[in-house]
Order: sequence, then C-alpha cells, then structure tokens
Amino acid sequence: MQSPTAGLGEPVAAAIRIVRPREGRRLADSKGEKPVDNASLVGLSRLVALEREIDVVANNIANLNTAGFKSDGVVFQEYVDETASSGDPTSTDSQVSFVYDVATWIDLGQGAMERTGNALDVAIDGSGFLAVQTPAGERYTRNGALQVNANGELVTSAGFEVLGASGPITLQPTDHDITISPDGTISVREGDNVKTESQRGRLRMVGFEQPELLLKEGSGTFMAPVDVTPQVDTKSRLVQGTLEKSNVHGVVEMTRMIDVTRSYTQVANMLVKEAELQQAAINKLAEVPA
Amino acid sequence: MRALNTAATGMMAQELNVQVISNNIANMRTTGYKRQRAEFQDLLYEHVSRVGTQTSSDGNILAAGIELGSGVKAAGTPRLMTQGELVRTGKDYDVAIRGDGFFKILLPDGRTAYSRDGSFELDAQGRLVTVQGNVVQPGITIPQNASSISINAQGQVSVTLPGSNTPSQVGQIELAKFVNKAGLEGIGDNLYLETPASGTPQNGTPATDGFGNLQQGSLEQANVEAVSEISELIAAQRAYEMNAKVISAADQMLSATANLMR
Repeated sequence: MQSPTAGLGEPVAAAIRIVRPREGRRLADSKGEKPVDNASLVGLSRLVALEREIDVVANNIANLNTAGFKSDGVVFQEYVDETASSGDPTSTDSQVSFVYDVATWIDLGQGAMERTGNALDVAIDGSGFLAVQTPAGERYTRNGALQVNANGELVTSAGFEVLGASGPITLQPTDHDITISPDGTISVREGDNVKTESQRGRLRMVGFEQPELLLKEGSGTFMAPVDVTPQVDTKSRLVQGTLEKSNVHGVVEMTRMIDVTRSYTQVANMLVKEAELQQAAINKLAEVPA
Repeated sequence: MRALNTAATGMMAQELNVQVISNNIANMRTTGYKRQRAEFQDLLYEHVSRVGTQTSSDGNILAAGIELGSGVKAAGTPRLMTQGELVRTGKDYDVAIRGDGFFKILLPDGRTAYSRDGSFELDAQGRLVTVQGNVVQPGITIPQNASSISINAQGQVSVTLPGSNTPSQVGQIELAKFVNKAGLEGIGDNLYLETPASGTPQNGTPATDGFGNLQQGSLEQANVEAVSEISELIAAQRAYEMNAKVISAADQMLSATANLMR
C-alpha cells in the first residue's frame, strides 16, 4: 500500500479496502483452483498503478516553478478479489488482493511566498481563490501574477479576465500607483491627483467548503463541479508585490520518484521470476516417466 | 510513458527560464532596461476518472477523481515595468523619467518607437537624438550658439542665447503612456513598439496626468536585482536537473518493462 506523503495534506479518500466479489470474478478462476498466473496479474496491477504515479510525479516536478501550482498525490487502494477455495466452491475464504489507483488528490497547502515588488502581483494568504472569466465559464486560480490588457482590464497571464466583487475591474490609462489592499480593494491615483485615491473595484475572492472536489483545468485554473458552489471568502488576505510559488517540494517528489522506480523494478523482477517458475513447472510436469 | 514527455516539457520550460534570466543579468547595466520574467502554467489534465462521478446506484459519488497532468508551458515573458534607480551623471542631455511615461523616438522607417533610455546626444544639425541617431519626437533643435541647456521636470527645454540674460524655451519633450506597458514589444536598442496588447499610446507632457517627471543629468538604471536573478537562476537550474532525473527514472521503468520478457 502506498500512502500519500505524511504532513503535506490529508488524502481525501479514506476507504482502504473495497470488497467486490462479483465484479472481480473474471480475474480469478471461479471453479475453485487459483489460476497459475494470479501472481503475474497482481504484479501487473502494481506496475500499472506505479506508471500512473510516475506520471503524477513528473507533472509535479515539471511545475516546480509554476506560480500558484498545487501538487497532486496518488491514492492507491487494495482491490480484494475473493476466490473460492478448492475444497468448498461456495466458501470464499481465499483472497487475492490487487492494487489500483483510486484517486489523485490535490495538495492545497500554501506555496512559498516570493517577494517580487511588482504592483500587480498578489499572493493569497489563506485558502481562497481568485475568480477569473474564461471562455468556458467562471474558473478559479491561485496564480496572482496579474496583468493589464490593452482595454485596461485586469487579466491573468493566460489572458483571462479577473472578476471583481461587482463586475470586471478596469483601469484607466491615467491611473498610476496601483494599490491592492489585503481584502482585494484596488485603489489608484488618477492623473495629476496625488492626494486622494480612487477605487477601481474589489477582487472577487472565493472559498469552497470542499476544495478537494475542484478539478484542475490547466493554465493554473480550477473548475468547480456543478454541486460545488463558491462562497465569498472573507478570511483570506491578499499580499501585494508577492507571488505564491508552486507548493511542490522538490525533495519529496524526488523521494517519491526513487520509491516508484525501485518498486517498479522489484515488481518487474518478481514477474520475471514468476515466469521462470511457470516455465520450470511446465517442464517438470511434462516429464512423462518412461 | 507519459512521464517522459511531461519531464521534457519541464526541461524546455526551465531552459526558457534560464534564457530570460541570463538576458536580465546581461542587461544589468543597460540604461532603462526592464527585466523580464518567465511565467509558467500547467498544461491540460486528463480526467481519467472524473470527480463527482456516481459510483453506485444509491447515489454515492467519487470524492476524488484521477487527474493526470501533462506538464508545463510558458505562458509569457512579461516585462516588469517598475521604476529603475536614477543615477546622477551630470551630463546635460541625460534625462531620466520618474514615473510611467516613455520617450517617443522616430525610427528611420517612419515608425515611432518608445524608450525609457534618456541618454540623448545632439546631431550635426543640433537635433536631440538617441545614441543611435534616431530623432526624439517632437523634434527639438538646440541653436549652435546656445549655452546652459536646461530641461525641467515638465520637459521644457530652455537655453540661454548670447546677448540675453533670460533663458528662452526651444522645445518641449513629450511622453507617451500605455495602459498595458508590459504588452510593449521590445525590439532591442532599448526601444519598444506599440502592439495590440499594449493599447494605443496616450501622449502628454511630463509631470501631468501621471506621465512622470523628468530629471536632467540623471539616467535610469536597469531594474534588475542581481540577488533575485541569481536565486532564480539556481532554482531554474535545479528544476531542470530534477526534470532530467524524472526522464532517467521513466527510462529505468521502461527498461524494466522491456526486460520482463527474456
């Protein structure tokens, strides 16, 4: 069993053991004898799961420097297949357990805060998300590297419009000295006016009761499934001039990678041994005494 | 194996990162240079099993699905148009902008370019030009017999002519402003061009409407901070190495697969 690395977040799926005797039947011999290749099938299930895990690790490492990126973990489960014992076909006391990857979970822990000094960089201190408008609908992001487009609208680096609490946020060409307060209020100095600030709106920060249900959509955005509704987040604070880096821990991912490759090689070796064993058995059994 | 490609996207992204950082460091002493930053985004995800899918007829739903990411891409290399430090040079035709504006420079092909580099010179006709000899717009000609040239914060260029005690104004430097400065296209020679992303330039005089004040006898240094660039460089290099390790790990797994059959 592979458990997510401790201390970096809680795995969302807690169920460890699922017993589905009927569905699993086709993998085993229902007549009573265990099939000879059971060990190979168990090994194979592990190899497939490990391939998935290295894919997830590779994606985490590829995004080591992606602002606002949240790392993924894999949850494995045991798949218990009950086979009938040879003596009594009705009893199900003999079990074979396979492994399968039941879920990937998103580690929503805070990434490191990096000071950039850029007025349009905001980091979210807390569990909130910024709401952005994409062609596919409203999405949520933790990447606060904001920009202004040619129309003066506040956008993300992918060009998605950042949503304000009351409509989109548009800056005027004469605006300067942009200040983003911890609650997301954007104020500017307008033209010659250096004494008073004008407000340009407030960034819409949202939170989720079950953020683990969010779906990653690439470009740093998360999608909320139909039954997950965003709520206004008043607890999170914005820090101007700072960016939230990726929360991928290089050392953790490297350790996971070593773990995956070692396990993979071991299981592969086991499969080879198993094949040799079967070969030997066939040879042995084929020896007809003269 | 997907991991191979994923790690390759990671290596390409970090290569670009190092390229951007090295250009920033190379331009550490370039007047008016604005540093760039490589920004990355995760690529599309394959939702192998979608979260929220019904798993039984009594309405149980999957609390977490399987999402497999496919790596990283560069989202852009925006310029960070923050103010650079002003350094006193004492030279009459060195002008620095303290604020948001850009000098307007006429290119030989008739287009207007924009620049933060105010290290101007005079050409043979007495016109105010850049180091490359491109004329500053609107054209300002300094009379040959003029002395004590002064450029004030509002961009008024005044000289003292022989036989006169009071300075007379010979020109007015104009600045341009963009709603999205980061969207300007750098063409080298410290010049930028207007793009659809930058928006159209707003012309104005210095020290009004947030165009920024001019400061004669000073130059704006690059806004590159050596310490942060070097730490970024280290992070990029290490990330590159880790991605390379992922490739060798995936390779090791593939070779174990290949060796299954003997």
